[in-house]
Amino acid sequence: MTIDPITLAVFVPLFGAIAAFVFPRAAVWLGLGAVLATCATVLGLAREVLAAGEVVTPLGGWAPPLGISLRADGLSVAMLGMSAIVGLLVSFGALDALRDLRQRQYFWPLWLLLLTGMNGVYLSTDIFNLYVMIEVIALAAVGLTVLSGTKDAVRAGLEYMYASILGALLFLMGVGFVYLQLGRLDFAGLIAAEPSGALSAALALMVIGLLLKTALFPLHFWLPAAHANATAPASALLSGLVVKAALYIFLRLTTYMPLPDEILVTLIGALGAGAVLWGGVQALRAERLKLLVAWSTVTQIGLIFLAFARAGQVGLTESWKAAALLILAHGVAKSAMFLAAGRIKDEVGHDRIADLDKSDIRPTLAQFTFALAAISLIGLPPSLGFIGKWSLMEGAMAAGYWHWVAVTMIGTLMSVAYFSRVFAGFLRFDRMRGELAEHKGWALADIAPLTLAVAAISLGLMAAPILSFIELGYPFGELP
Amino acid sequence: MNDPFLLFDLLLASAVIALAVATLSVRDLFASIVLFVIFGLLSALAWVRLSAPDVALAEAAIGTGVTGALLLKTLHHMRFVTGRLGQDAAESVTPAQPVPAPVIWANAALCGLITLGLAMAFFAAPQAGPGFEALVTDAMPESGVTHPVTAVLLNFRSYDTLMEVVVLLAAVIAVWQIERGLSEAPAPALGEIWHGFARLTLPAIVVVGTYLLWKGSEAPGGAFQSGAVLAAVGLLLLLSRNYVPRPAHRGLARWAFVLGTGVFAAIALLVAGGGREVFEYPAEHAYSLILLIEGLVTISIAVTLAALFHGREPVALAIEEKRHDT
Repeated sequence: MTIDPITLAVFVPLFGAIAAFVFPRAAVWLGLGAVLATCATVLGLAREVLAAGEVVTPLGGWAPPLGISLRADGLSVAMLGMSAIVGLLVSFGALDALRDLRQRQYFWPLWLLLLTGMNGVYLSTDIFNLYVMIEVIALAAVGLTVLSGTKDAVRAGLEYMYASILGALLFLMGVGFVYLQLGRLDFAGLIAAEPSGALSAALALMVIGLLLKTALFPLHFWLPAAHANATAPASALLSGLVVKAALYIFLRLTTYMPLPDEILVTLIGALGAGAVLWGGVQALRAERLKLLVAWSTVTQIGLIFLAFARAGQVGLTESWKAAALLILAHGVAKSAMFLAAGRIKDEVGHDRIADLDKSDIRPTLAQFTFALAAISLIGLPPSLGFIGKWSLMEGAMAAGYWHWVAVTMIGTLMSVAYFSRVFAGFLRFDRMRGELAEHKGWALADIAPLTLAVAAISLGLMAAPILSFIELGYPFGELP
Repeated sequence: MNDPFLLFDLLLASAVIALAVATLSVRDLFASIVLFVIFGLLSALAWVRLSAPDVALAEAAIGTGVTGALLLKTLHHMRFVTGRLGQDAAESVTPAQPVPAPVIWANAALCGLITLGLAMAFFAAPQAGPGFEALVTDAMPESGVTHPVTAVLLNFRSYDTLMEVVVLLAAVIAVWQIERGLSEAPAPALGEIWHGFARLTLPAIVVVGTYLLWKGSEAPGGAFQSGAVLAAVGLLLLLSRNYVPRPAHRGLARWAFVLGTGVFAAIALLVAGGGREVFEYPAEHAYSLILLIEGLVTISIAVTLAALFHGREPVALAIEEKRHDT
């Protein structure tokens, strides 16, 4: 019995979830083991993709369109790798952050089911299969949202579930339209299809569903509350990884079925710009640290959609790389930031931004981590966020879209402004007199977020290999 | 008027639409749920008329039966929370939360747009309808079963089906983990007469559910429909208090939840090798493997749906003790 890593990437976390659920006492170690095994599997898959360019497995031996194939190329492995590595470090963070027995037991099966769903999305080549996968993601993510058990979290989780289910239903309806038109559901069928009005309507439905799931302004209403009220590791997973799955599907779909109209492309860009500005304003107004970080996710999602806002096949063949870089950069940096914010809240006892400098405990390492993550999110060199933003603006300038460059600049300035509010709280202008416990707020738990933040900065130095890796198997050429 | 069923179809279609309108517009939540159940049953009939008996069974068993039970359970809880539980049935109207008019109009506009698009897509679609039919017919002999829907669900696209079972597993884990500091209504119970009813219907439900499963390989039916029907056994046991969930049963329940998913996934991996892909059942064993998977998935679905109806994870709390006093 030999099984390819491509299949194992979905099955390992699935079995891990089952084991962690059935043996709740050993959930922590079973879960950690499964995440580690998933990392190893993704590494094996990456080697195969490096050697062959792409890996395709027809499940059940039935070739599409009847059956379903799994397909891995550079882009999907990059997404898998980000999920696995960020997931592993967040898992280490969760060891310390989840103190309650109930939370410790239920975190692992839910998180592993989430990983199953996300890995399934990144390897899928079939739009109905994508629907099933986003349902798996949605339920596991809602479970993680309400893990903290507070009333606010339950309410936010319910709202998240409504938004998520509505998004999935819209997506499913679009899938139905496609089947009605083409009689098949695989990506190859979409590529081969003649563009038509009905197919555009199907694409529109699917895209609206995805925008709801990825929380693009003005469909972001569920995100801040859900991400701000979850426990820190759950927030890191939700903000860093989960919204990326819908973004990834959007990226794939819009290249296989190009948006038909310049106006629609401009609309996507306008929504992205709205997210950057509105999210920035809300982040400036936020009173709590985690809420600020959640609003910063809204602006970053908007930024990624700005990268998409370049019309036509030519525009997309260039701009998807900027989008992919921004997705990776945000995934790493935002999970680091949420974990750090959780650590600060744990040590200081609250996360009111105005009172951060009044505490006599000083979680220096967590604050340092937060600042490093902010550097990548703001887009200062040499971070990965910088490279992503740079290629976004370079592309927009080359295409003559100066207005998107302006929006990106304004968004960057706003992010400097709202993160500065937090930095000001980290510094101490002698408002607190007396004995300072400078070294009190350090803990082993700071290592995981710090590693993530350092990665967010240093991955920028490896931008060239990352770029050439995600082009492996040329994601947007002809499918075999 | 060539088709004698035309009049029936027209009536059915108007009834479905009228029931949908009534479900949305009625003020009392209980009435709304009852109307929704009737709406579901008539929709199931509509699926039969559309020659989709599998969907009809699923709609009747899951979309109507289990969903209706879950809605009523929720209503019971809401009445408990708002203090209306003990009231006379005639008075205990639970008004629906009023929805702002702009929201209603925005929803109506969006739904209208989607319906319009659906109609346009329907008329624009090629009449012969491309689809999987030809491919499925070609591949049927190798599938191990004779019913095309089962072949698609459990062989050609079994990966999708596995993940749908995972969705159900995720749902029950998510429900079990919600912090149980929330107040909880006393479990609804059936009266004296219903014990007799339960005794009469339980065997029939078991037979119908098993039959649906067994028939699934050659005729409409299968794990999801059968699981939903068998879940009714669990519901009746819970309602008639013949079974009271206890903390000690949690371990067993966890195994029951994951049984279907685990065995399905394990078989998918174990058949690989020797030139076969994952999920590629050897032709001579395909029938028995599919039946085994369906049988275990049915058990998991039935237990999971019943657990979802019960709601909370049975934990040791003081409330547990008081539950036997009714």
